[in-house]
Amino acid sequence: MVDAETSVEGCNRMEHIQVLCFAGTYGLALAAELARGAVQSPWRWRLTLALTVLGWCVQTVYLANLSMVGSWHLPINSAFESVMALSWVVALVGVYLMVQWPRRIAVGVFVLPLVLGLICAAEWFVPQTPDWVAGGGMVAFWGTVHGLFLLFGAVCASLAVVSGLMYLAQSRRLKSKSPGDFGFALPSLERSERFNRGAIVGSFALLTVGLLIGALLGVATRNPDASPAQAIHWNDPKVLSALGMWLVFAVLLHARFRPSMRGRVVTILTIVAFAFLVFTWVGVEALRLPTAHGGSSGAGGPP
Amino acid sequence: MKLLALGVDHRSAPTTVREALAFNEGRVDEGLDALARAFPGGEFVILSTCNRVEIYAGGGDDETPEVDDLTAFLADFHGVAPESFAGHLVGHHDAGAVGHLFRVAASLESLVLGEGQILGQTREAYRAAVARKTVGPILHSVFQTALRVGKLVREKTGMDQGKLSVASVAVDLACEVFDTFADKTVLVIGAGKMGDLTLQHLKSLKPGRILITNRNPERAEAAANRWRGEAVPFDRLGQALVDADLVISTTAADEPIVTFEQYARAQRARRNRLALILDIAIPRDFDPKIGDLDQVTLYNVDDLRAHVEQNLKRRQKGIDPALLIIERETAACFATVQHQAAAGKVLQQLGNRADQIRQRELESLFASLSQLSDSDREAIARMAARLQNQFLHHPRAAVRSAVAEADPNHPHPLLSAVRHLFGLADGSSKSPIQKAT
Repeated sequence: MVDAETSVEGCNRMEHIQVLCFAGTYGLALAAELARGAVQSPWRWRLTLALTVLGWCVQTVYLANLSMVGSWHLPINSAFESVMALSWVVALVGVYLMVQWPRRIAVGVFVLPLVLGLICAAEWFVPQTPDWVAGGGMVAFWGTVHGLFLLFGAVCASLAVVSGLMYLAQSRRLKSKSPGDFGFALPSLERSERFNRGAIVGSFALLTVGLLIGALLGVATRNPDASPAQAIHWNDPKVLSALGMWLVFAVLLHARFRPSMRGRVVTILTIVAFAFLVFTWVGVEALRLPTAHGGSSGAGGPP
Repeated sequence: MKLLALGVDHRSAPTTVREALAFNEGRVDEGLDALARAFPGGEFVILSTCNRVEIYAGGGDDETPEVDDLTAFLADFHGVAPESFAGHLVGHHDAGAVGHLFRVAASLESLVLGEGQILGQTREAYRAAVARKTVGPILHSVFQTALRVGKLVREKTGMDQGKLSVASVAVDLACEVFDTFADKTVLVIGAGKMGDLTLQHLKSLKPGRILITNRNPERAEAAANRWRGEAVPFDRLGQALVDADLVISTTAADEPIVTFEQYARAQRARRNRLALILDIAIPRDFDPKIGDLDQVTLYNVDDLRAHVEQNLKRRQKGIDPALLIIERETAACFATVQHQAAAGKVLQQLGNRADQIRQRELESLFASLSQLSDSDREAIARMAARLQNQFLHHPRAAVRSAVAEADPNHPHPLLSAVRHLFGLADGSSKSPIQKAT
C-alpha cells in the first residue's frame, strides 16, 4: 500500500516536472519575444520561434502520454486535460501566426502569456477530477465530439481575446500618437478587427453545437433509476454557467455586427465572454461546486 | 595594388556640377567602356545617382589611374572644363576608398540618412560594371563586401526604419490602421501641393478609389485627372466623408471645415467603420475632438512631424554602431584584397616561370630532334603543357586557399615559401598591412 502511494506520488512529481519543462520553454520564448526593444537581430525572432516550437513539441509528447493513461482517449477527458489541450492548440496557432505574419509583429507577446496562463491555471487551480467520459460506446463517442466542439470553440474564443487585446493596444498607441512606445509592432486595426470578428463567429457556432450535443447527450443518457446526485438537472452549476456563457457569446455576436458597438466595446465584451468560458470550463471544478457533469460524481459531490 | 574613389556628392558640389558630371541612363555603359579603353588593365565601377557621381578604380600600381587622370577623363567625357568641377572632387585612396564605399552603401553618406535606395543603386552600378567586364578581382571583392555590409548595417542598427517625410509617415500610418487598400476610398480635400505629395506616396498602396474635392471645381477636376480619381463638388463633402476611409485634408481655410457633430454624423452613416484622417492643413480643417471618436484616428501636421523627428533620432542613434561595423569590415576587406593581389602576383610569376622553362626545353628538344613531324611536335607540346598544369595544380590551390584563410594583419608564410621554393623574385618586401599604412 505504501509502495503504491509512493509510486503515485512519484508519477505526479514526474508529471509536474514535464509540465515545468514545456512551460519553462514557453517562458523563455516569451522572454526572447519581450527582448524585441533591446535586440534587433533576426536571430531573436528565430530563437523565439525555435523555443515556442520546442515547448510545443514537449507538450505534444506530454499530451500523448496523457492520452495513453488507462485506455487510449483524446486528452480532453477532464477539465485538466482539456485546458492543457486548449493551451497546446493556442500555442500551435501562435507558431502559425509567427511564421505567416510579418516578423515585426509581436505575436508572441500576446499568445505566449495566454498559453502560459492556461497551463498555470490547469496545473494549479484545476483539480484532477475523474474522467468526464467513462466507458465506451456511443455515449463516449458523442461525449468526445461534444468535448471537441467545445475545445475548438474555446480555441476561437482565445484567439478572439488575443486579437481583441492587439486591437486595444494598437488603438491606444494610435490615439496617444506616440510612435513605437511599446518597442514592438502590432497588426493593423483592420487586421485585428477582422481576426476578432472571424474568431467570435467561429467560437459562437462551435460552442452552440458543442452545448447542443451536450444537452442532447444529457437527455439521452438520463437514467430514471439514477440517484439525484448522478443525474444532470437544469439547475446543475455546470449547466447554468454553460447557459450563461452561451448568452454572453450571443450578446457578443450581436454586438460584433452592430455598427455602434464596433471597436473597444466589442473587445471588452470579448474579454468578458472569455472569462465566462473559462469559469464554465474549469471554474465549477476549481470551486468544487456539486455537479453531475460527464456522469462523474463531480469534485464537490459525494465520491 | 591601388584603389581610388573619386567623385562629387551633395556635400561637396552644387546641383549644377553634379548634373554636369552625371552618367545618365545609358551613359554608364559608355563611360565604363571609355574608362576601359583609356586605362587598360584597370578595374572600374561608376556610381551615378541624384546626389553623387563617383568612379571607383582599382588595379596594379601601373594600371590604376591617378586623380589627375580621372579628372581629365571626366572633363573629356562630359565635355566640360576641368576647372569647373576639379575643386569639388573628393578622392579616397586604398583603405579610405573601401571605407567610403561601405559608408555610401550603408547610407551614412546619403542626403536622407538611412534611405534604402542607395544600396540598390550600388548593386546596379556593380552589375553594370560586371556586364561591361570592367570589374576584376579587386572591385569584385570590394563591391560584394560593400553590398553585404550595407545590408548588415541596416539589420544591426535599424537605420532604415521609420520614414523621414510627412507624406511617407502618412503611408506608414495608413498601414497601421488598414490591412488592405484595394477596397478603400481615399478622399483628398484641397488640391494643393501637399495633397499631391501625400497622394504620390499613397498611390503605392493602390487604393480602390480616389475622391478629390476643392472649393474651386476646376482645380479639383485637374487633380482628379492627374491621379485618375473622381472630382467631387465641394458642397457634397458630407457624402464624400461617408464614402471615404482615409481622408487627407490640405485646404487653406481659416476655420475648421468639419465639426465634431458633422463627422460624428458621417461616422454613424459609415456604420462606424475604421477611418483615418490626416489633417495636414494649417490652420486645422478638422475639429480635434473628432479624434476621440471610437474607430477614428486623427493626425494633424504636428503629430506627423513628431513622428518624423522621432524616426530621425532613432536613425541617428545607429550612426556610431554603424561606423564601428564599417571600420571593422573595411580593415578586413582591404587586407583580404591585398592578400589576393599578393597571391595573384605570386601565381602569375609562377605561371610565367613555368611557361618560360617549358618553352625553353621544348625549343631545345625540337632543335635536337629535327626529324619530328609537326603532329609529333604538337603532341609533345600538349603533353608538356599538361605536365606543367598538373605539377602546378597543388601549389596554386594551396596559395589560393592560404589567401582565403589569411590573418588580415600578416601575409601568409606560404607566399614567401612558394617564392623561395620556385626561385621567384620577391615583389613585395613589405607586408600588405605595412603598405596600406
